[in-house]
Formats: sequence, structure tokens, C-alpha cells
Amino acid sequence: MIDMDALMGAFGIMATSAGSWGWIVPGLIVGLVFSAIPGVSITMAMAIVLPMSLYMDFFSAIVFLTSVYTGAGFGGSVPAILMNIPGSPSSYATTFDGYAMSKKGQHNEALGYALFASTICGIFGYLLLLVVVEPLADIVLKIGPLEMFAVAIWGMLLIGSLGSKYISRGLFAAAFGLLLGGVGMNTAGFIRGTMGMPSLLDGISPIPAMIGLLASGQLLTLAGKDYIIEAEGSRTVSLSRILSGCWQTFRHPGVLVRGSVIGIVIGAVPGVGSSLGNLIAYAETKRTSKDPSSFGKGNPKGVIAAESAVASAEGGSMATMLALGIPGGGATAILLAAFMMHNIVPGPQFIETQKEMVYAIILNNIVQAIVLLFVGIGFIYVASNIVRVRTRYILPAILVIATMGTYAVEGSISGPITLFVFSLIGFLLVKFDYPVAAVVVGLLLGRMLETEFLRSYQLSGGDPTYLFERPGAMTIFGIMLFSMAMTAWGKRKQVLAEEAESAAMEALARQASVPEAEPGIKAGASGRH
Amino acid sequence: MNGFTRRAALRLGAIGGAMLLSAALLAPAQVLAQEDYPSRPINVVVPFATGGYNDRLARAFAPYLEKELGQPLVIVNQEGAGTQLGHTYALQQEPDGYTILCTSVSPYIPLSIFLQNAPYKLEDFAILNLPSRDYTMAATSADSEIESFAAAIEQLKADPSSLSIGVQPASADYANMMLTMKAAGIDASKLRIVTYDGGGPARNAAAGAQVDIAFVGGEGFLPLKDKIKPLAMYAETAPEWWPDAPTIGSTGIQQEFVDGSQRGWVVASAVKTENPEVYAKILAAVEKASKNPDAIKALELQELATTWYGPEASQQAFIDNAATMEKHQALLKGE
Repeated sequence: MIDMDALMGAFGIMATSAGSWGWIVPGLIVGLVFSAIPGVSITMAMAIVLPMSLYMDFFSAIVFLTSVYTGAGFGGSVPAILMNIPGSPSSYATTFDGYAMSKKGQHNEALGYALFASTICGIFGYLLLLVVVEPLADIVLKIGPLEMFAVAIWGMLLIGSLGSKYISRGLFAAAFGLLLGGVGMNTAGFIRGTMGMPSLLDGISPIPAMIGLLASGQLLTLAGKDYIIEAEGSRTVSLSRILSGCWQTFRHPGVLVRGSVIGIVIGAVPGVGSSLGNLIAYAETKRTSKDPSSFGKGNPKGVIAAESAVASAEGGSMATMLALGIPGGGATAILLAAFMMHNIVPGPQFIETQKEMVYAIILNNIVQAIVLLFVGIGFIYVASNIVRVRTRYILPAILVIATMGTYAVEGSISGPITLFVFSLIGFLLVKFDYPVAAVVVGLLLGRMLETEFLRSYQLSGGDPTYLFERPGAMTIFGIMLFSMAMTAWGKRKQVLAEEAESAAMEALARQASVPEAEPGIKAGASGRH
Repeated sequence: MNGFTRRAALRLGAIGGAMLLSAALLAPAQVLAQEDYPSRPINVVVPFATGGYNDRLARAFAPYLEKELGQPLVIVNQEGAGTQLGHTYALQQEPDGYTILCTSVSPYIPLSIFLQNAPYKLEDFAILNLPSRDYTMAATSADSEIESFAAAIEQLKADPSSLSIGVQPASADYANMMLTMKAAGIDASKLRIVTYDGGGPARNAAAGAQVDIAFVGGEGFLPLKDKIKPLAMYAETAPEWWPDAPTIGSTGIQQEFVDGSQRGWVVASAVKTENPEVYAKILAAVEKASKNPDAIKALELQELATTWYGPEASQQAFIDNAATMEKHQALLKGE
């Protein structure tokens, strides 16, 4: 399906605009630095550099902006892993296992895993795009509200897999999150829960709210410690351990492929962006894993799964932007603006008449991802030095930067106020043992769930048999139920096996306790520990 | 709904009071300001996010306007609450000419006033020029079985729930659609209306045949031209950017309608009344920049409008459109 002539032409464009290559590294660094600051989003980083790109020629401008985009796709995972504070909603799932690894002193490896998972899947995503960029456009348009609703439900299932001490509090927290997600004017024009404040008409802005919810509990925990990592011996920054993490990523090809596919498909759906893909990829990897109980306690597969869906989602959302002229999220909306400012209107006509340019943009993104492998290692190396700084210096700095970041996102005081209010809510949730994660997922998905459910209802006129007219939605629900049934079946088998094992152990112990235990077995058992 | 709540009144009072106070305190400074205006950079407030039509218009036009004013322009994106935040912000600034708006006056100013009780009035805005007009377009997917607008209306007359309709609630498009249904005698309460919170998603829904017909601003359909079939454009004559679009008049339906969007350059009325010289300087600069052949060429390439209609014609178009919207307020509210 690749048009070879156009591909050759694309190489031609890349070779002749040599100046554009120089923008890759600065773009990546801008993206990495901005997205690593909690509260500053990818969209903002791109909005800041957009006016700068106007003075470049078209291809250089696009290379620069997409480099910022590529860098920002990874940068958010650095604070997620080192401090348990996601830089952006798309790196939320990375905190689950990434920070757990850091606490164990494996922050070097965790960052290595994240970098390679993100980058490799990004490359994989763009390669896939090269083949499917045209048909993808038509598939994306066929995705209706019911399909989107099914996907959002899938994202909500993550809450179940995160686990909580009390089921009732988990459900309550999720419902609370969903209600928060519905604040503002809904798609049918009804205004709810704004308390008369015009700045809430567009809903609670998710980034300051999320950071408030997660950071308050986390910062308070950190305040009780001298350093982020308690064990003094683990507070090292080691290039070899970062590299070993990078290398080990390749040991989990299944996780990488699944994450990329989930990322591309979800990223391609307009209006969803990458904040949902990482949640679904994480939940699916955990559910299908042989040892789900090790997730959340520092399993590298959790980091890989979450990150694999982030960069590939960028590819998906870029494809929709190029093929249809529809932005998948905030960042692609800015890319679209950059195209327009250079008098180029992406869309079906653009793909048809300027296929070389489309291929050149995709190929350049692959180059950026490869460069990011190296720039990223350097960035991680510098950024991880934060583990050697005392928390009494880090905490005030984070507080100030996050507050300024949330101010900058909206350009008004509503950002910092949201941050403050949600910090209080987050503090109370933690204090009374309510799972904060359930509130965050509800907040991120509440609006989408409501909107798509409402539209499905409007389209069908309230007739539930509408589901049977939508094979896509049926398939998604089918896979979801199948996957849940498999988990239940697996859990049951696991429980049975554990019971059998403990029964056997008991029998063994009883047997062993009667005569003297054989010294050989004992030595062998203790040697393994 | 009571159009004028107590809180809005208080807020207006507060703004008015602040304005009077500042006018009294800053009177000598303003005389000075009028003489050497502009002596510092000027903010252009765009009440939309980066990359929308107004943002692109502001950024593309800025270099030419800068040349006329002799000071740099700073584009300030103040999006949110259906332009209410950006408009309120712009009106709260000193009326010294250092704040200019590049906005979609219609439908957003009337909508935010009628439906959201925005703390400003139509008269608070002095329109300089509205070069860009967009019109509601009814469209279906390219491979749809719907032959024409008349055929679709006939089908809806027979069974109002036979076709699904995608539209933004509380928008000019919604009002136009409801006026059509009224003119054709279709029971609107039986329609299957699917609501979208932006033009983009509504257009995607039409192109992907998620809904049978979408009523949404026509200009945004340009990049999707191959994927849709235009049924009716709510304009007197088809605009130059879509010359072969069937106008609503040509489909055989006689009805009133409102313009989808009127976009361009605006200042607070207070600038005109309190600093008439500054106002005249801004107006002259916008006129000269709009007529600059380089500007016309550069903006044409980006499919942005520079046509000079002037303040009188632009203000009239805005007031007329707002009056039609006010007349059909109940329709906008979906009552």
C-alpha cells in the first residue's frame, strides 16, 4: 500500500531541505524539558514555539514542531517515575509501576524502560502509518458515538484492576470522579455544577486538577523523608543501569506490540488523544499477565505497557490530522494551525496531491524517534540527579513550578485555584482511604463517557437494539467481556492452584514435622532466598 | 429565563464604577496617551485557542497592522466559556486603545448574552471591520442516499425521526435548522437531534455518515469537500469560497435565517467614546492594512478574508444578525 514513487520523493524532500535536520535536537529538548515540568502540557509547549516556527520554511517548521511533540511524548514520564507526579495525563499509568521501581532504587532502569518503550513503539507506530495512513482516515470516520462509549468504558475498567482496600469506597471515588468530569456545559448545552463561575463552563481543567489530586498526597509523603529514595546506596545515577533498562525493554515484545496497537487506534480517534491509551494498555497488560499481583509494585512490564501506548498514540493522532485535517488532541490542533499558517490545509486532498510531503513528515518522525533514543538517555541522566537532592529543596521548587505551570495553561488564576482546591480534595481522599486513582480516571473519562452515551441515545432514539446495528461497538464490547471472562477464569485457576499448593505444603510440612527434616532441602530452600 | 440577573447587574455596576473611577483618576494621563498613541506594544485579544480561524486571522494580519500602527502587536489567546471569558477580559482593560479584539462577534456575543447572561451588552463593542462571514451549511456524507435538501425535507415531513440530525446546541446553526423545520411544518420535538460541542465533531459525523445530515458552519467543510455532499447553504448568495453550493433560497424553502459567523476587528465602545482620537487612529490603521495589496495577497493564500466593509456596514450587519437571533431566542435555547 506504500506508493514507492512518493516514498522516493519523500527521501528527496528530506535530502534537499538539509536545514530542517538542525531543528530536530532543539525541538526534542524543548519538548522534553517542558513536558517534564508538572503542570505544563505538550499543547502549551507547542503553543509557545508556534509563533517561532512562522519564520522558518514549511518543512523546517513542521520538523521543529513535530520534534517538540515527539520529545514531549516521553518527557512526562520522568516526573511520573521519579516523583509519582505525572507530567501530563498521558503519563499517568506510568506512575503505577515506574514510581514503585524508583522506591526500590531501580529509577535508572525504570527510566530506561520508559524511554525505549516509548520510542520503539513510536517508531513502530509511524512505520505502520506509512502503510495505513490512507485507509485509516476512512476507518476513523466510521467510529461513531457508541464505539467511543465502549472504549471509554474499557478505560473505566482500569479502576477495577488498580484495586482498593474497600470496594465501596472505590466505587464512591469513581462516581465522584465521573461527576467532576461532567461539570460545565455538556454536549446538549445544559450547564451543571459550575456554581455560577464562567471559567467552569468548559469543565474542570484536567491538568491542574489531576496534579492537585496526585501531588498533594505525594508531596506530603515526600515531606516526611529526607530524600526521594530512602536507601542511601540506591541514590545513584548510573548510565550503565539506564542502558540495561533500555536493553531489557526488548525482552517484552508482546507488551510493546499490544501497547502500540492500542495507542495507534485510540490516538487516531479524534478528540480522545493519548490520555486514554496508556490506561487501557496498562490495564490490558496487567489483566493478561501471569502475575497480575506484581503490578503496581514495580513490575517493569507496567512501565513498558503504559509508555508503549503514549508515543504510538501520537502517530495515530498525526495520521488523523494529515488525512482528514482533524486534530486528535490539543497538540495536533497546534500542528494543524502551523500547517494552515504555511498555507497548507491537511485533509483528503492534501494526502492525494502531496503524498511525498506526507511521507516525508512521517519518515522525519521516525528519524526524530531514533534521535530521541540518544537525546533521551542524556536527558534522563541529567534529570535523575534529582534523587540526590534533599526533598526540602525539591518540594518548594515543585510547588512553585506546578503553580506557575497551571497558571500558564489557562493564562488565568483559575488554574492555580483548581490546583489548590483539588490538593485539598486529594489530601482528604488519602486521609480517609479513598483511592485517588479512581477519582482521577473518573475525572479524565467522565466527560467522554457522558457525551458519547448521550449521543448514542440521541442517535438511536433510545432504542437499545441500536447496538446490533453497530458491529464495531459489538466487537469492542465482545473483546472486553471475553478479556474479563478470561481474567476471572485465570483468577479462579490461580486460586485453585494456590489452594492445592498450600494443601500440598501443609501435607509436606506435616510429613516433615514428624521425622527430622532433611538438611539438603532446607539448605536448598534457604539458598534460594 | 430572566435576561438580566441581579448578579449580572452588580457586576455591570462594578465594571461601570471602576471605569468611572479610572476615568477620573487617569484623565490627565489619557490626554497624553491620546497624543502619542501608540507608545507601547498593543494586545490583540483572541477569545479562542491557538489555531482557530480568529487566531490565524490575527496572526496573519498582525504584521500589516503593526506597520500601520508603528508598534508590535501581541496576540493574547483568552479562550473559554464560549468567548465570554475573552470578551469580558477585553472589556475590563483600560479603554486606552492598547487592547484590540479579533473575534467572531456573531454568533458568540449575542449567544453569550442571551444564553449565558454574560456581563456585557451588544453596545459595549465598537465594530471596526468584519471581513469574514461564514454560513450554516446542511450537508450529508458523499455516498449518502439523500439526493437533495428538498428530498430530505419531504422525508422528514413524512416521518420526523427517519433522519438523524447533527448540530451544535445553542448556535446559529441550530436556530437556522429549527427555522427550516418550522417553515416546513415539521414537528421538531420528534426529530432525532444529535448534539455536538463543536463544529469539527459535527462535520466528522456528517463525513463519516454517523448522522444523516449535519447543520454546521460551511467553511470548515472545505478540507473535507470530497467526503460530503452540500445540501443547502444558509446565505443569500453562495460565497466565493464555495460558489456552487445550493443556497437555501434555491431549495424552495422560504425562511428567515442568521449568518453563521461574522468575524473581524473590534474594540470596546469605551475607546470610541472616551478616546475618540485613539479610536480614529486604530480605525485608520485597520482600514489601511486591510487595503494593503501585500496583506490581501498573503491572507488570500491562507484562505483568510481582508475585505473592507467599514465600521458602519459591519456594525449594521452585526446588529441586524443579533436582532434576528434575539427574535428567535427561544429556538436558540431549544425551547
